[in-house]
Amino acid sequence: MSDNKNLSAVEGIKQKSKGLRGTIQESLRNEITGSISEDDQSLIKFHGMYQQDDRDRRDERAAKKLDRLYSFMIRLRLPGGFLTPEQWVALHHIAGDYSTGVIKITTRQTVQLHGLIKSKIKPTIQAFNSAQLDSIATCGDVNRNVACASHPKQSPVHEQVFAYADKISTLLKPKTRAYYEIWLDEEKISERSEEDPLYQDRYLPRKFKIGIAIPPNNDSDVFTNDLGLIAIIEDGVLQGFNIAIGGGLGTTHGNQDTYPRLGTVIGFTDTEEKVLKMVYEVLTVQRDYGNRSDRKLSRLKYTVDKYGADWFRAEVEKRTGFKLEAPKPYTFTQREDYYGWEENHEGLWYYTLFVENGRVLDTDDLPMKQALLDIAQTGKANFRFTSNQNLILSDIKKKDKKKIQEILDRAGLIRHTETASRIRKNAMACVALNTCPLALAEGQRYLPDLISRIEPILEKHGLSDEQIITRMTGCPNGCARPYAAEIGFIGTAYGRYNLYLGGDRYGERLNKLYKESLDEPAILGELDTLFGEFKHGRHAGEPFGDFAVRKNWI
Amino acid sequence: MLATVKQNAFQELVSGASHEELVWMNGFLAGVLSVGGSLQSAAGSVALATDPAPVKLTIVYGTETGNAKGLATRLAAVAKQQGVRVKLAGLDQYRTADLVKESYFVVVVSTQGDGDLPVTAVKFYEYLKQQQPGFSHLQFAVLALGDSSYPLFCKAGEDIDSLLEEKGARRFFRIQKCDTDYENDATTWFREALSSLTQTSDRAALVASSPAQTVVQKTGRKIYQGTVLSSVNLNDQGSAKETYHIEISAEGVVYEPGDALGVVPENPQHLVLEVLSLSGADPEKRISYKGAESTLLHLLKTKLNLVYLPERVVRKYAEVVQQDIPETRIGLVDLLKIYPVKDAAQFERIVEILEPVAPRLYSISSALSANEDEVHITVAKDRFEVNGETGYGLCSGFLSSLSESSAFSFYIHPNRQFRLPAPEQDVIMIGPGTGIAPFRSFLAERDAQMASGRNWLFFGDQHFVTDFLYQTELQNWFETGVLTRINTAFSRDQEEKVYVQHKMLAQAAELYSWLETGAYLYVCGAKEPMSIDVENTLLRIVSEQGGKTEDQAAEYIEWLKQSSRYLKDVY
Ligand code: SRM
Ligand SMILES: Cc1cc2nc3c(=O)[nH]c(=O)nc-3n(C[C@H](O)[C@H](O)[C@H](O)COP(=O)(O)OP(=O)(O)OC[C@H]3O[C@@H](n4cnc5c(N)ncnc54)[C@H](O)[C@@H]3O)c2cc1C
Ligand SMILES: Cc1cc2nc3c(=O)[nH]c(=O)nc-3n(C[C@H](O)[C@H](O)[C@H](O)COP(=O)(O)O)c2cc1C
Ligand code: SF4
Repeated sequence: MSDNKNLSAVEGIKQKSKGLRGTIQESLRNEITGSISEDDQSLIKFHGMYQQDDRDRRDERAAKKLDRLYSFMIRLRLPGGFLTPEQWVALHHIAGDYSTGVIKITTRQTVQLHGLIKSKIKPTIQAFNSAQLDSIATCGDVNRNVACASHPKQSPVHEQVFAYADKISTLLKPKTRAYYEIWLDEEKISERSEEDPLYQDRYLPRKFKIGIAIPPNNDSDVFTNDLGLIAIIEDGVLQGFNIAIGGGLGTTHGNQDTYPRLGTVIGFTDTEEKVLKMVYEVLTVQRDYGNRSDRKLSRLKYTVDKYGADWFRAEVEKRTGFKLEAPKPYTFTQREDYYGWEENHEGLWYYTLFVENGRVLDTDDLPMKQALLDIAQTGKANFRFTSNQNLILSDIKKKDKKKIQEILDRAGLIRHTETASRIRKNAMACVALNTCPLALAEGQRYLPDLISRIEPILEKHGLSDEQIITRMTGCPNGCARPYAAEIGFIGTAYGRYNLYLGGDRYGERLNKLYKESLDEPAILGELDTLFGEFKHGRHAGEPFGDFAVRKNWI
Repeated sequence: MLATVKQNAFQELVSGASHEELVWMNGFLAGVLSVGGSLQSAAGSVALATDPAPVKLTIVYGTETGNAKGLATRLAAVAKQQGVRVKLAGLDQYRTADLVKESYFVVVVSTQGDGDLPVTAVKFYEYLKQQQPGFSHLQFAVLALGDSSYPLFCKAGEDIDSLLEEKGARRFFRIQKCDTDYENDATTWFREALSSLTQTSDRAALVASSPAQTVVQKTGRKIYQGTVLSSVNLNDQGSAKETYHIEISAEGVVYEPGDALGVVPENPQHLVLEVLSLSGADPEKRISYKGAESTLLHLLKTKLNLVYLPERVVRKYAEVVQQDIPETRIGLVDLLKIYPVKDAAQFERIVEILEPVAPRLYSISSALSANEDEVHITVAKDRFEVNGETGYGLCSGFLSSLSESSAFSFYIHPNRQFRLPAPEQDVIMIGPGTGIAPFRSFLAERDAQMASGRNWLFFGDQHFVTDFLYQTELQNWFETGVLTRINTAFSRDQEEKVYVQHKMLAQAAELYSWLETGAYLYVCGAKEPMSIDVENTLLRIVSEQGGKTEDQAAEYIEWLKQSSRYLKDVY
């Protein structure tokens, strides 16, 4: 099968981990460091956590003879990004009690808490557990949180599609009980009793992501996933899904073998049973053929390109025992969230709140976190997250809408959502500094300021109402999917970004590198020129990304 | 009539003598005259007449940092050489029931705190206080160790001296108060005291020559000029504490792990200026204080304690200004504001009653074997609230404000009671908070010695993230095996408070097995409540692990203390 002569170090760690247990318990007991052993750092990801340290504080703490300020980030498993109001209340308090207090909505519809110190992990997980929440397999070499089109108004079959997210997540969950033993004090059953036919003891060669889209909105950026499912709906009835494989964005500066790739649609299948079977076997093929020696080249996209999409489809079909049908036609015409109030086919109401970079917190001018708590405490709204890092107050009965509106209004959240510029509402940044160990430059801490400086330039050119998708990441891993943006900023060093142009508006064409390592004045200078040309040279209605391609800027 | 030398000696003899002694001298001289012979024979005969048997002498000591003990031991050797039968005991070990059997009794005792007895002497003192007078058989002499930079110089010695007298015991020799350079004064005094007992030496001659007091120069203690190499607050943002690690360079500085650094803090400039302006006195006026002359400005800045005056000083202040002042601790500035002095002259009288600034000690946290010509200290900035305002400790405030390359004077206060054992012995160190300081020194020393004995540290503070003093250094020592075990207790990281003693208890079996195999146990840090809780926990561990009754456990601990295997440096 795959050529794996020199297995990467992580492979060894997984195999001897005794079902992802490793020495995590010992690491937790170590009283003199806030960190856990290196091997355990790899394993704890499978339990939904990353060890990090506050990079802003490294030098100062070293001078104080203090170890790095280690803490853990925890990411919840929320297939499709849904919480009941009770769960939001629990999340609110857990964030306040154990983490930095900021609730971070991610680009894959879930939430992260940062800054948990080692001794707070267990209480946090236990509190989540009491709220029927867990963080299993949200990180690590397994299937991650399943993303799904977020807004129920998108289609009467939304709920039906949405249910797939949960089913797939359950189907692909690792079987080990380690999570329950380590964090929830469940008594240990024999290790051998946990046969895991899917993951075995090797798990996958690398992370694996699944996204589901409901055309015409591609808010879940379905083609950037290892495995994308595109719902095919005819006459208001769900027919099945087109299947796309081999999406993935991460690259490494200076490593020519790495590249971003959008998924390739390989066919269509209809029933739930068949869909789940297909999904499952795509994972087993990747498990058996993925590269296990170089983690930079181990995502599904490289396996697909190495063996070819046709071979891959055939191999999957062999394993499922049935063939895929030809893909069905679909069209995407949007990727933006539906900000503000919307009603679905059942007469339920939805308010999409703009949450800049997904950071829910209280500031002096915007008590967002408090208002959301107040809303959750009414019990009248569910919480949904979007892949654009926003939040939808959901499934609100008509009679309760006024109450929710009032709370939002009082906190200034309606104004906040309505008055934010179009460019800002279509922008995303990743976490980056100060917690992301891989960050080379700022992300979410900087983009809001940069946008404030881009706004007047757009205004100058009369482009303020233009929908342009802008995304920034602190490194080339692509967590805010900048390769699938019309304007992509990818950090190269502190204060410097590569500028990417030419992605389309709907996430069906990647952008390309335009200029390297620009600082802020250079970025603003470039954009001023580009916007000027765009204003005067565009065809009517032509999106900025398409114009960039037509002009051969890249 | 007498030659000056003789007259001086005679006067000293008389003035330093108690009533009984005068009576005795009177009789003695009468005896000399009556036989018409020489002093020599008279002395012999008198001594023979009163005490024909060889002199039996008991020397007891009360010590905190080992000076009194070391001295008492040397004195005992001197006495032995002279054929005196000597018994030597620490006051904490001394069987008070034996007091009735003693004849000659020498107490060597230091003063601690603010004129307090050393902890080891408290039990003895309290016992004696309870007794009825009736110790007339007991002949005593007190050798008091102290430090004249403290306001109550040798107060503990004085207290024991007068208590013995109060209980009817007879002072066979005057009290000697010794400053930090006590060696000469003490041995001279002792030889004199001895000769007052023994038949062999010529007491009068000895007394007459009494060279030590006039000839021997006061050496004082060695004052070093330190330069701050670096100073860093070890606590991170968000901590309730500020603990400064200060590295000081001082050429030729000599100390051992376990010693402390002493500083006499200066008063802040603004305080001095405020006092001066309230007093109306001339800062340049030369004033004599305790036998030395300097300008008023200099006195106020460097010598006198102006803050938080003790009640006894407030009382004296009230007498000078002739006003009714409640006897509570208060600063001089407030006194001057509320109860002003009449004029500059009256202020000079206030100066006379002010006390010197007491030195402050800081356990040394470095070892010369690792850092030659350097001394490191670990200073907790003392913070307190007065009338809703935040105040800072005089010395810790001063030290923590020192920036790189600033200079200040210090001395070394040796602590001979707090020493590392031989390299092959195991060591258990319990040092929460700034109690970690001497153990950083210990570990550096054991590291440099490549000591084969094991080292186990218990550390504690409020929060793991912000208050883990010397975390990375301890991690390194753990990784390189210098630290065999380390346990930490962070009291405020969880609902219930967790302290070092809880961690000791959690390791009870292992801890007891270390003790059983000869480990030395050290405790440093807060006297209360830490060192008391730790001791109670030790008792519990010894009793539970060793299957001992409470009494047996207490004996075990006592035995550890006696074998110098349980040592405390608490404050
Ligand atoms: C939180 C989030 C960004 C955000 O601001 O929302 C995020 C944050 C991180 N990502 Fe990501 N990624 C996030 C979505 C993505 C996406 C977008 C997506 O999936 O839609 C991508 C690009 C798609 C892809 O996977 O190719 C992405 C590609 C990466 C990569 C590159 C993977 C690769 O194949 O090269 C890494 C690095 C790695 O895995 O080695 C990475 C690693 C990381 C880590 C965990 C850094 C690390 O490995 O130590 C970041 C944690 C930062 C922090 O302090 O929170 N993250 N990451 C997103 C969480 C999604 C979730 O809920 O699961
Ligand atoms: C053997 C030994 C070793 C030691 N080792 C260390 C060590 O390693 N590290 C360390 O940090 N300390 C150590 N100490 C303690 C240190 O010597 C000092 O006692 C401590 O720093 C406080 O001194 P200060 O001059 O800062 O405070 P001070 O000015 O003496 O104040 C002390 C207390 O007096 C009261 N007070 C003072 N002024 C006022 C006022 N105006 N109004 C009301 N109340 C007031 C407050 O309660 C205050 O907390 C040690 C002590 C000893 C005896
Ligand atoms: C904390 C502390 C407080 C002291 N207080 C006094 C005091 O009030 N009066 C005094 O004369 N000496 C005082 N001294 C000085 C000691 O008595 C002196 O250093 C003596 O040599 C110590 O003897 P030891 O080692 O036997 O305890 C104090 C010393 C320390 C360490
Ligand atoms: S893109 Fe890079 S910097 Fe941003 S969160 Fe992901 S890994 Fe970190």
